[in-house]
Amino acid sequence: MKSIKNHLMFILPLMTILLGIQFYLVFDRMTSGYEERLRDGYSILVVANKPVGINEFKALNAKISQSSKIERNEILQEISIGQDPADTKAILDALPNFYTLKLASYLDTSSLEKVKKDLEKSAKIKRVETFGSDYSSNYKLFSFIKFTLKAFIFFMATVSLFLIIKQMEVWGYIHKERMQVMEIFGAPMILKTGILFRVAIVDALIATLLIVIFFVILGSVWAQNSGVEVVVQNHMNIFHNNDILILLFSALIIVVTSVLIVVFGLNGGEE
Amino acid sequence: MSTIIEAIGMTLSYSNGQNDIIQNVNFKINKGDFVFITGPSGSGKSTLLKSLYGQIKPSSGSLSVGGIEMSSVKKSKLQELRTHLGIVFQDYKLISEWTVSKNVVLPLVIAGYAIDVQKSQAQRLLGHVKLSDYGDRYPLELSGGEQQRVGIARALARNPLVVLADEPTGNLDEYSSNVIWDLMENACEQLGTTVLVVTHKIPTIFSLRYRHFIIENKGLYEVN
Ligand SMILES: Nc1ncnc2c1ncn2[C@@H]1O[C@H](COP(=O)(O)OP(=O)(O)OP(=O)(O)O)[C@@H](O)[C@H]1O
Ligand SMILES: [Mg+2]
Repeated sequence: MKSIKNHLMFILPLMTILLGIQFYLVFDRMTSGYEERLRDGYSILVVANKPVGINEFKALNAKISQSSKIERNEILQEISIGQDPADTKAILDALPNFYTLKLASYLDTSSLEKVKKDLEKSAKIKRVETFGSDYSSNYKLFSFIKFTLKAFIFFMATVSLFLIIKQMEVWGYIHKERMQVMEIFGAPMILKTGILFRVAIVDALIATLLIVIFFVILGSVWAQNSGVEVVVQNHMNIFHNNDILILLFSALIIVVTSVLIVVFGLNGGEE
Repeated sequence: MSTIIEAIGMTLSYSNGQNDIIQNVNFKINKGDFVFITGPSGSGKSTLLKSLYGQIKPSSGSLSVGGIEMSSVKKSKLQELRTHLGIVFQDYKLISEWTVSKNVVLPLVIAGYAIDVQKSQAQRLLGHVKLSDYGDRYPLELSGGEQQRVGIARALARNPLVVLADEPTGNLDEYSSNVIWDLMENACEQLGTTVLVVTHKIPTIFSLRYRHFIIENKGLYEVN
Protein backbone atom coordinates (compact mmCIF):
# COMPACT_ATOMS: atom_id res chain seq x y z
CA MET A 1 0.00 0.00 0.00
CA LYS A 2 2.71 2.38 1.06
CA SER A 3 4.83 1.31 -1.86
CA ILE A 4 1.98 1.93 -4.32
CA LYS A 5 1.64 5.41 -2.87
CA ASN A 6 5.37 5.96 -3.35
CA HIS A 7 5.10 4.89 -6.98
CA LEU A 8 2.14 7.17 -7.61
CA MET A 9 3.96 10.08 -6.05
CA PHE A 10 6.64 9.48 -8.63
CA ILE A 11 4.52 8.59 -11.65
CA LEU A 12 1.97 11.41 -11.36
CA PRO A 13 4.40 14.34 -11.54
CA LEU A 14 6.25 12.55 -14.31
CA MET A 15 2.96 12.22 -16.20
CA THR A 16 2.34 15.92 -15.67
CA ILE A 17 5.60 16.72 -17.41
CA LEU A 18 4.92 14.29 -20.24
CA LEU A 19 1.40 15.66 -20.61
CA GLY A 20 2.91 19.13 -20.90
CA ILE A 21 5.41 17.98 -23.51
CA GLN A 22 2.72 16.24 -25.53
CA PHE A 23 0.33 19.18 -25.37
CA TYR A 24 3.14 21.38 -26.50
CA LEU A 25 3.86 19.09 -29.46
CA VAL A 26 0.19 18.99 -30.43
CA PHE A 27 -0.22 22.71 -30.13
CA ASP A 28 2.92 23.35 -32.10
CA ARG A 29 1.77 21.11 -34.93
CA MET A 30 -1.69 22.63 -35.04
CA THR A 31 -0.41 26.17 -35.02
CA SER A 32 2.45 25.80 -37.45
CA GLY A 33 0.01 25.24 -40.32
CA TYR A 34 -2.00 28.20 -39.21
CA GLU A 35 1.07 30.39 -38.96
CA GLU A 36 2.12 29.42 -42.46
CA ARG A 37 -1.19 30.45 -43.87
CA LEU A 38 -1.01 33.76 -42.05
CA ARG A 39 2.44 34.41 -43.39
CA ASP A 40 1.49 33.56 -46.98
CA GLY A 41 -1.66 35.62 -46.79
CA TYR A 42 0.45 38.64 -46.15
CA SER A 43 2.05 40.71 -48.85
CA ILE A 44 4.03 43.87 -49.29
CA LEU A 45 3.87 45.88 -52.46
CA VAL A 46 6.86 48.05 -53.35
CA VAL A 47 6.99 50.77 -55.96
CA ALA A 48 10.56 51.58 -57.05
CA ASN A 49 12.08 54.06 -59.53
CA LYS A 50 14.76 51.64 -60.61
CA PRO A 51 14.97 47.83 -60.68
CA VAL A 52 15.75 46.32 -57.26
CA GLY A 53 17.19 42.80 -56.89
CA ILE A 54 16.28 40.34 -54.15
CA ASN A 55 19.68 40.76 -52.51
CA GLU A 56 19.14 44.49 -52.30
CA PHE A 57 15.81 43.87 -50.59
CA LYS A 58 17.40 41.42 -48.19
CA ALA A 59 20.14 43.91 -47.41
CA LEU A 60 17.48 46.44 -46.44
CA ASN A 61 15.73 44.00 -44.13
CA ALA A 62 16.77 40.42 -43.44
CA LYS A 63 13.19 39.27 -42.83
CA ILE A 64 12.40 39.51 -46.54
CA SER A 65 12.63 36.13 -48.19
CA GLN A 66 11.28 36.52 -51.73
CA SER A 67 10.50 39.23 -54.20
CA SER A 68 8.65 38.98 -57.45
CA LYS A 69 8.38 41.62 -60.08
CA ILE A 70 5.00 42.51 -61.46
CA GLU A 71 5.39 42.63 -65.23
CA ARG A 72 4.75 46.16 -66.46
CA ASN A 73 3.90 45.00 -70.00
CA GLU A 74 0.88 43.17 -68.77
CA ILE A 75 -0.40 46.20 -66.93
CA LEU A 76 0.29 48.38 -69.91
CA GLN A 77 -1.43 46.16 -72.42
CA GLU A 78 -4.63 46.54 -70.49
CA ILE A 79 -4.57 50.31 -70.44
CA SER A 80 -3.00 51.03 -73.84
CA ILE A 81 -5.44 49.32 -76.13
CA GLY A 82 -5.93 51.44 -79.25
CA GLN A 83 -3.05 53.74 -78.52
CA ASP A 84 -0.04 54.62 -80.55
CA PRO A 85 2.82 52.14 -79.91
CA ALA A 86 5.20 55.11 -79.51
CA ASP A 87 3.05 56.48 -76.70
CA THR A 88 2.95 53.07 -75.15
CA LYS A 89 6.71 53.00 -75.15
CA ALA A 90 6.82 56.39 -73.46
CA ILE A 91 4.37 55.27 -70.81
CA LEU A 92 6.39 52.12 -70.25
CA ASP A 93 9.54 54.16 -69.65
CA ALA A 94 7.73 56.44 -67.27
CA LEU A 95 6.18 53.60 -65.26
CA PRO A 96 7.99 52.64 -62.06
CA ASN A 97 8.89 49.03 -61.08
CA PHE A 98 6.40 47.04 -58.99
CA TYR A 99 7.39 44.24 -56.63
CA THR A 100 5.57 42.00 -54.23
CA LEU A 101 7.61 40.76 -51.30
CA LYS A 102 7.27 37.69 -49.09
CA LEU A 103 8.52 37.37 -45.55
CA ALA A 104 10.54 34.58 -43.98
CA SER A 105 8.30 34.37 -40.95
CA TYR A 106 5.12 35.81 -39.63
CA LEU A 107 5.74 39.24 -38.08
CA ASP A 108 3.79 41.28 -35.61
CA THR A 109 2.69 44.80 -36.49
CA SER A 110 5.66 46.64 -35.06
CA SER A 111 8.21 44.42 -36.84
CA LEU A 112 6.21 44.95 -39.97
CA GLU A 113 6.35 48.71 -39.53
CA LYS A 114 10.10 48.37 -39.26
CA VAL A 115 10.32 46.43 -42.51
CA LYS A 116 8.31 49.19 -44.15
CA LYS A 117 10.59 51.90 -42.77
CA ASP A 118 13.73 50.05 -43.78
CA LEU A 119 12.45 49.72 -47.31
CA GLU A 120 11.56 53.39 -47.50
CA LYS A 121 15.12 54.34 -46.58
CA SER A 122 16.30 53.23 -49.99
CA ALA A 123 16.51 56.02 -52.56
CA LYS A 124 15.24 53.71 -55.28
CA ILE A 125 12.01 52.95 -53.47
CA LYS A 126 9.19 55.41 -53.80
CA ARG A 127 6.39 53.75 -51.95
CA VAL A 128 5.64 50.76 -49.81
CA GLU A 129 2.16 49.35 -49.25
CA THR A 130 1.40 46.53 -46.86
CA PHE A 131 -1.73 44.47 -47.16
CA GLY A 132 -2.54 42.90 -43.85
CA SER A 133 -5.16 40.26 -43.59
CA ASP A 134 -7.82 40.09 -40.96
CA TYR A 135 -5.83 37.20 -39.48
CA SER A 136 -3.59 39.72 -37.83
CA SER A 137 -5.70 40.37 -34.75
CA ASN A 138 -6.42 36.66 -34.44
CA TYR A 139 -2.74 36.03 -34.55
CA LYS A 140 -2.06 38.29 -31.58
CA LEU A 141 -4.55 36.48 -29.42
CA PHE A 142 -3.11 33.30 -30.72
CA SER A 143 0.49 34.15 -29.79
CA PHE A 144 -0.70 35.23 -26.38
CA ILE A 145 -2.39 31.89 -25.78
CA LYS A 146 0.68 30.14 -27.04
CA PHE A 147 2.93 32.05 -24.68
CA THR A 148 0.62 31.43 -21.74
CA LEU A 149 0.53 27.74 -22.52
CA LYS A 150 4.30 27.56 -22.74
CA ALA A 151 4.71 29.41 -19.47
CA PHE A 152 2.18 27.17 -17.80
CA ILE A 153 3.83 24.00 -19.11
CA PHE A 154 7.20 25.27 -17.99
CA PHE A 155 5.90 26.09 -14.52
CA MET A 156 4.15 22.75 -14.10
CA ALA A 157 7.23 20.93 -15.34
CA THR A 158 9.45 22.71 -12.84
CA VAL A 159 7.15 21.96 -9.92
CA SER A 160 6.80 18.36 -11.06
CA LEU A 161 10.53 17.97 -11.38
CA PHE A 162 10.95 19.00 -7.76
CA LEU A 163 8.29 16.51 -6.71
CA ILE A 164 10.04 13.78 -8.68
CA ILE A 165 13.38 14.52 -7.05
CA LYS A 166 11.72 14.65 -3.61
CA GLN A 167 10.11 11.28 -4.18
CA MET A 168 13.38 9.86 -5.43
CA GLU A 169 14.95 11.06 -2.18
CA VAL A 170 12.33 9.04 -0.34
CA TRP A 171 13.32 5.97 -2.37
CA GLY A 172 16.92 6.81 -1.60
CA TYR A 173 16.21 6.84 2.15
CA ILE A 174 14.21 3.64 1.96
CA HIS A 175 17.18 1.92 0.35
CA LYS A 176 19.91 3.87 2.07
CA GLU A 177 20.87 1.10 4.46
CA ARG A 178 21.14 -1.47 1.70
CA MET A 179 23.20 0.88 -0.45
CA GLN A 180 25.56 1.61 2.43
CA VAL A 181 26.09 -2.07 3.18
CA MET A 182 26.76 -2.75 -0.48
CA GLU A 183 29.17 0.14 -0.61
CA ILE A 184 31.14 -1.17 2.37
CA PHE A 185 31.46 -4.51 0.60
CA GLY A 186 32.89 -2.71 -2.42
CA ALA A 187 29.89 -2.72 -4.75
CA PRO A 188 30.35 -0.51 -7.80
CA MET A 189 28.08 2.50 -8.11
CA ILE A 190 25.85 0.92 -10.71
CA LEU A 191 25.14 -2.18 -8.62
CA LYS A 192 24.68 -0.19 -5.45
CA THR A 193 22.22 2.24 -7.00
CA GLY A 194 20.72 -0.35 -9.35
CA ILE A 195 17.59 -0.57 -7.25
CA LEU A 196 16.92 3.16 -7.66
CA PHE A 197 17.48 3.03 -11.40
CA ARG A 198 15.19 0.03 -11.64
CA VAL A 199 12.39 1.76 -9.75
CA ALA A 200 12.87 4.93 -11.77
CA ILE A 201 13.00 3.29 -15.18
CA VAL A 202 9.99 1.08 -14.53
CA ASP A 203 7.99 4.11 -13.39
CA ALA A 204 9.17 6.09 -16.41
CA LEU A 205 7.93 3.32 -18.71
CA ILE A 206 4.57 3.19 -16.93
CA ALA A 207 4.13 6.96 -17.09
CA THR A 208 5.04 7.06 -20.79
CA LEU A 209 2.69 4.20 -21.58
CA LEU A 210 -0.23 5.86 -19.79
CA ILE A 211 0.33 9.14 -21.60
CA VAL A 212 0.65 7.41 -24.97
CA ILE A 213 -2.57 5.48 -24.42
CA PHE A 214 -4.32 8.67 -23.36
CA PHE A 215 -3.29 10.58 -26.45
CA VAL A 216 -3.91 7.74 -28.84
CA ILE A 217 -7.45 7.49 -27.54
CA LEU A 218 -7.76 11.25 -27.60
CA GLY A 219 -6.60 11.41 -31.22
CA SER A 220 -8.43 8.44 -32.63
CA VAL A 221 -11.67 8.27 -30.73
CA TRP A 222 -12.47 11.45 -28.95
CA ALA A 223 -11.16 14.02 -31.43
CA GLN A 224 -12.99 12.62 -34.42
CA ASN A 225 -16.28 12.48 -32.59
CA SER A 226 -15.89 15.66 -30.66
CA GLY A 227 -17.87 17.77 -33.07
CA VAL A 228 -15.46 20.64 -32.57
CA GLU A 229 -14.33 21.63 -36.05
CA VAL A 230 -10.76 22.60 -35.22
CA VAL A 231 -10.26 19.41 -33.24
CA VAL A 232 -11.77 17.18 -35.91
CA GLN A 233 -9.60 18.78 -38.57
CA ASN A 234 -6.52 18.32 -36.44
CA HIS A 235 -7.15 14.85 -35.07
CA MET A 236 -4.14 13.49 -36.94
CA ASN A 237 -1.98 16.07 -35.18
CA ILE A 238 -2.85 14.79 -31.72
CA PHE A 239 -0.56 11.80 -31.80
CA HIS A 240 2.32 10.97 -34.12
CA ASN A 241 4.22 7.73 -33.67
CA ASN A 242 7.44 9.65 -33.18
CA ASP A 243 5.97 11.18 -30.06
CA ILE A 244 6.51 7.86 -28.26
CA LEU A 245 10.24 8.30 -28.67
CA ILE A 246 10.17 11.92 -27.58
CA LEU A 247 8.11 11.08 -24.48
CA LEU A 248 10.11 8.00 -23.57
CA PHE A 249 13.39 9.79 -24.03
CA SER A 250 12.22 12.76 -21.95
CA ALA A 251 10.90 10.49 -19.19
CA LEU A 252 14.16 8.54 -19.03
CA ILE A 253 16.27 11.68 -18.97
CA ILE A 254 14.15 13.10 -16.15
CA VAL A 255 14.22 9.98 -13.97
CA VAL A 256 17.88 9.22 -14.54
CA THR A 257 18.72 12.81 -13.64
CA SER A 258 16.65 12.55 -10.48
CA VAL A 259 18.41 9.31 -9.50
CA LEU A 260 21.82 10.84 -10.11
CA ILE A 261 20.95 13.94 -8.08
CA VAL A 262 19.81 11.78 -5.17
CA VAL A 263 22.72 9.35 -5.41
CA PHE A 264 25.30 12.09 -5.34
CA GLY A 265 23.33 13.86 -2.61
CA LEU A 266 23.37 10.77 -0.40
CA ASN A 267 27.03 10.13 -1.04
CA GLY A 268 27.81 13.56 0.31
CA GLY A 269 26.33 12.46 3.62
CA GLU A 270 28.96 9.83 4.34
CA GLU A 271 30.92 10.02 7.61
CA MET B 1 56.55 -11.83 6.88
CA SER B 2 54.95 -9.13 4.83
CA THR B 3 53.12 -6.25 6.42
CA ILE B 4 49.47 -5.92 5.48
CA ILE B 5 48.32 -3.15 7.83
CA GLU B 6 50.49 -0.40 9.23
CA ALA B 7 49.61 2.72 11.21
CA ILE B 8 52.15 5.45 11.89
CA GLY B 9 51.20 8.26 14.29
CA MET B 10 47.58 7.71 13.39
CA THR B 11 44.82 9.77 15.00
CA LEU B 12 41.12 9.06 14.52
CA SER B 13 38.29 11.43 15.22
CA TYR B 14 34.75 12.11 14.04
CA SER B 15 34.11 15.30 12.15
CA ASN B 16 31.15 16.11 14.40
CA GLY B 17 32.96 15.30 17.66
CA GLN B 18 35.51 17.60 19.27
CA ASN B 19 37.74 14.89 20.79
CA ASP B 20 40.13 12.44 19.19
CA ILE B 21 38.98 8.86 19.72
CA ILE B 22 42.39 7.34 19.08
CA GLN B 23 45.52 9.44 19.27
CA ASN B 24 48.89 9.02 17.65
CA VAL B 25 49.07 5.22 17.58
CA ASN B 26 51.58 2.97 15.82
CA PHE B 27 51.11 -0.67 14.97
CA LYS B 28 51.98 -3.19 12.32
CA ILE B 29 50.06 -6.31 11.36
CA ASN B 30 51.52 -9.02 9.19
CA LYS B 31 49.81 -11.19 6.64
CA GLY B 32 48.28 -14.20 8.38
CA ASP B 33 48.27 -12.67 11.86
CA PHE B 34 45.35 -13.43 14.13
CA VAL B 35 44.70 -10.36 16.28
CA PHE B 36 42.31 -9.83 19.16
CA ILE B 37 41.44 -6.26 20.08
CA THR B 38 39.89 -5.58 23.48
CA GLY B 39 39.10 -2.47 25.44
CA PRO B 40 36.37 -0.78 27.44
CA SER B 41 33.08 0.15 25.84
CA GLY B 42 33.38 3.41 23.95
CA SER B 43 37.16 3.19 23.78
CA GLY B 44 37.21 3.23 19.98
CA LYS B 45 37.42 -0.39 18.87
CA SER B 46 34.69 -0.08 16.26
CA THR B 47 36.16 3.24 15.22
CA LEU B 48 39.52 1.59 14.58
CA LEU B 49 37.86 -1.04 12.38
CA LYS B 50 36.00 1.69 10.49
CA SER B 51 39.32 3.28 9.64
CA LEU B 52 40.60 -0.05 8.33
CA TYR B 53 37.75 -0.39 5.82
CA GLY B 54 37.85 3.27 4.93
CA GLN B 55 34.61 4.43 6.50
CA ILE B 56 36.56 7.15 8.30
CA LYS B 57 39.92 8.62 7.35
CA PRO B 58 42.78 9.25 9.78
CA SER B 59 42.67 12.88 10.82
CA SER B 60 46.44 12.79 11.00
CA GLY B 61 49.27 10.31 10.58
CA SER B 62 49.19 7.49 8.11
CA LEU B 63 47.40 4.18 7.79
CA SER B 64 48.12 1.70 5.07
CA VAL B 65 45.95 -1.32 4.34
CA GLY B 66 47.12 -3.79 1.71
CA GLY B 67 49.60 -1.20 0.50
CA ILE B 68 46.95 1.49 0.08
CA GLU B 69 47.26 4.76 2.01
CA MET B 70 43.86 5.21 3.61
CA SER B 71 44.19 8.92 4.38
CA SER B 72 44.27 9.78 0.69
CA VAL B 73 42.64 6.78 -0.98
CA LYS B 74 40.56 7.38 -4.11
CA LYS B 75 36.99 6.13 -4.23
CA SER B 76 37.66 3.58 -6.95
CA LYS B 77 40.72 2.21 -5.16
CA LEU B 78 38.78 1.94 -1.90
CA GLN B 79 35.98 0.11 -3.66
CA GLU B 80 38.47 -2.43 -5.02
CA LEU B 81 40.17 -2.82 -1.61
CA ARG B 82 36.83 -3.47 0.07
CA THR B 83 36.16 -6.48 -2.13
CA HIS B 84 39.15 -8.11 -0.42
CA LEU B 85 37.89 -7.43 3.09
CA GLY B 86 35.41 -9.50 5.07
CA ILE B 87 33.63 -7.28 7.54
CA VAL B 88 31.47 -8.39 10.44
CA PHE B 89 29.51 -5.56 12.01
CA GLN B 90 28.61 -5.22 15.63
CA ASP B 91 25.02 -4.48 14.51
CA TYR B 92 25.09 -7.16 11.73
CA LYS B 93 23.94 -4.83 8.91
CA LEU B 94 22.07 -7.46 6.96
CA ILE B 95 19.89 -6.28 4.07
CA SER B 96 16.38 -6.77 5.37
CA GLU B 97 14.67 -7.02 1.96
CA TRP B 98 16.93 -9.90 0.94
CA THR B 99 16.68 -13.53 1.96
CA VAL B 100 19.35 -14.97 4.21
CA SER B 101 20.79 -16.85 1.21
CA LYS B 102 21.17 -13.71 -0.82
CA ASN B 103 22.61 -11.79 2.12
CA VAL B 104 25.24 -14.39 2.71
CA VAL B 105 26.53 -14.24 -0.86
CA LEU B 106 26.56 -10.42 -1.14
CA PRO B 107 30.32 -10.44 -1.84
CA LEU B 108 29.71 -12.93 -4.67
CA VAL B 109 26.86 -10.81 -6.04
CA ILE B 110 29.24 -7.86 -6.08
CA ALA B 111 31.95 -9.93 -7.75
CA GLY B 112 29.42 -10.87 -10.43
CA TYR B 113 29.24 -14.63 -9.88
CA ALA B 114 26.53 -16.54 -11.72
CA ILE B 115 23.27 -17.21 -9.89
CA ASP B 116 23.83 -20.96 -9.61
CA VAL B 117 27.27 -20.43 -8.09
CA GLN B 118 25.69 -17.98 -5.65
CA LYS B 119 23.07 -20.57 -4.72
CA SER B 120 25.48 -23.43 -4.09
CA GLN B 121 27.89 -21.19 -2.18
CA ALA B 122 25.01 -19.89 -0.05
CA GLN B 123 24.24 -23.46 0.97
CA ARG B 124 27.86 -24.19 1.79
CA LEU B 125 28.33 -20.99 3.81
CA LEU B 126 25.11 -21.37 5.77
CA GLY B 127 26.19 -24.94 6.57
CA HIS B 128 29.39 -23.59 8.12
CA VAL B 129 27.43 -21.44 10.55
CA LYS B 130 24.81 -24.13 11.19
CA LEU B 131 21.99 -22.30 9.43
CA SER B 132 21.41 -24.62 6.48
CA ASP B 133 17.64 -24.53 6.84
CA TYR B 134 17.33 -20.77 7.10
CA GLY B 135 18.25 -19.72 3.57
CA ASP B 136 14.76 -18.72 2.51
CA ARG B 137 13.98 -16.66 5.57
CA TYR B 138 14.45 -12.94 5.90
CA PRO B 139 16.90 -11.49 8.44
CA LEU B 140 14.18 -10.11 10.70
CA GLU B 141 12.79 -13.63 11.05
CA LEU B 142 16.04 -14.73 12.74
CA SER B 143 17.22 -14.33 16.32
CA GLY B 144 20.04 -11.89 17.07
CA GLY B 145 22.60 -14.67 17.31
CA GLU B 146 21.40 -16.22 14.05
CA GLN B 147 21.66 -12.88 12.27
CA GLN B 148 25.15 -12.50 13.65
CA ARG B 149 26.14 -15.85 12.19
CA VAL B 150 24.73 -14.86 8.80
CA GLY B 151 26.91 -11.74 9.02
CA ILE B 152 29.96 -13.88 9.74
CA ALA B 153 29.23 -16.28 6.90
CA ARG B 154 28.84 -13.27 4.58
CA ALA B 155 32.21 -11.88 5.66
CA LEU B 156 33.93 -15.17 4.81
CA ALA B 157 32.03 -15.74 1.55
CA ARG B 158 34.76 -14.75 -0.87
CA ASN B 159 37.82 -15.84 1.11
CA PRO B 160 38.87 -12.30 1.94
CA LEU B 161 42.49 -11.32 2.51
CA VAL B 162 41.58 -9.64 5.78
CA VAL B 163 38.68 -10.31 8.12
CA LEU B 164 37.58 -7.39 10.30
CA ALA B 165 35.11 -8.66 12.88
CA ASP B 166 33.41 -6.46 15.45
CA GLU B 167 32.18 -8.52 18.42
CA PRO B 168 31.36 -11.51 16.22
CA THR B 169 30.35 -13.66 19.18
CA GLY B 170 28.70 -10.89 21.19
CA ASN B 171 25.29 -12.51 20.95
CA LEU B 172 26.29 -16.15 20.86
CA ASP B 173 26.33 -18.92 23.44
CA GLU B 174 29.48 -20.90 24.08
CA TYR B 175 28.68 -23.59 21.54
CA SER B 176 27.99 -21.14 18.70
CA SER B 177 30.95 -19.02 19.69
CA ASN B 178 33.23 -21.99 19.36
CA VAL B 179 31.82 -22.74 15.91
CA ILE B 180 32.74 -19.19 14.91
CA TRP B 181 36.22 -19.31 16.39
CA ASP B 182 36.84 -22.57 14.56
CA LEU B 183 35.77 -21.00 11.30
CA MET B 184 38.10 -18.06 11.77
CA GLU B 185 40.99 -20.22 12.89
CA ASN B 186 40.54 -22.35 9.79
CA ALA B 187 40.50 -19.35 7.50
CA CYS B 188 43.68 -18.06 9.11
CA GLU B 189 45.44 -21.39 9.15
CA GLN B 190 44.42 -22.81 5.79
CA LEU B 191 44.04 -19.72 3.63
CA GLY B 192 46.49 -17.41 5.37
CA THR B 193 43.70 -14.92 6.03
CA THR B 194 44.63 -12.05 8.33
CA VAL B 195 42.01 -11.80 11.06
CA LEU B 196 41.29 -8.85 13.36
CA VAL B 197 38.63 -9.51 15.93
CA VAL B 198 37.21 -7.01 18.39
CA THR B 199 35.89 -8.88 21.40
CA HIS B 200 35.10 -8.51 25.06
CA LYS B 201 36.25 -12.01 25.82
CA ILE B 202 39.17 -13.85 24.28
CA PRO B 203 38.19 -17.53 23.94
CA THR B 204 39.74 -19.84 26.49
CA ILE B 205 40.24 -22.67 24.05
CA PHE B 206 42.17 -21.31 21.08
CA SER B 207 44.70 -23.38 19.23
CA LEU B 208 46.40 -20.70 17.10
CA ARG B 209 49.11 -18.27 18.08
CA TYR B 210 47.51 -14.88 18.35
CA ARG B 211 48.32 -11.28 19.16
CA HIS B 212 46.36 -9.12 21.57
CA PHE B 213 45.91 -5.37 21.38
CA ILE B 214 44.20 -3.27 24.03
CA ILE B 215 42.67 0.10 23.27
CA GLU B 216 42.60 2.35 26.30
CA ASN B 217 42.78 6.09 26.92
CA LYS B 218 43.06 6.81 23.19
CA GLY B 219 46.14 4.60 22.91
CA LEU B 220 46.73 1.13 21.52
CA TYR B 221 48.99 -1.33 23.35
CA GLU B 222 50.06 -4.83 22.52
CA VAL B 223 50.15 -7.34 25.37
CA ASN B 224 51.81 -10.73 25.40
N1 LIG C 1 29.45 8.37 14.15
C1 LIG C 1 29.98 8.88 15.28
N2 LIG C 1 30.04 10.21 15.44
C2 LIG C 1 30.58 10.75 16.56
N3 LIG C 1 31.07 10.03 17.55
C3 LIG C 1 31.04 8.69 17.46
C4 LIG C 1 30.49 8.05 16.31
N4 LIG C 1 30.57 6.72 16.48
C5 LIG C 1 31.15 6.54 17.68
N5 LIG C 1 31.42 7.71 18.27
C6 LIG C 1 32.08 7.90 19.56
O1 LIG C 1 33.40 7.39 19.47
C7 LIG C 1 33.76 6.72 20.65
C8 LIG C 1 34.23 5.33 20.32
O2 LIG C 1 33.15 4.61 19.76
P1 LIG C 1 33.30 3.12 19.27
O3 LIG C 1 32.02 2.73 18.66
O4 LIG C 1 34.52 3.01 18.45
O5 LIG C 1 33.51 2.37 20.66
P2 LIG C 1 33.72 0.83 20.91
O6 LIG C 1 35.06 0.68 21.52
O7 LIG C 1 33.45 0.06 19.69
O8 LIG C 1 32.61 0.55 22.01
P3 LIG C 1 31.71 -0.77 22.22
O9 LIG C 1 32.55 -1.78 22.91
O10 LIG C 1 30.63 -0.28 23.12
O11 LIG C 1 31.23 -1.19 20.90
C9 LIG C 1 32.54 6.74 21.54
O12 LIG C 1 32.73 7.74 22.51
C10 LIG C 1 31.41 7.10 20.64
O13 LIG C 1 30.47 7.89 21.33
MG1 LIG D 1 31.97 -1.15 19.05
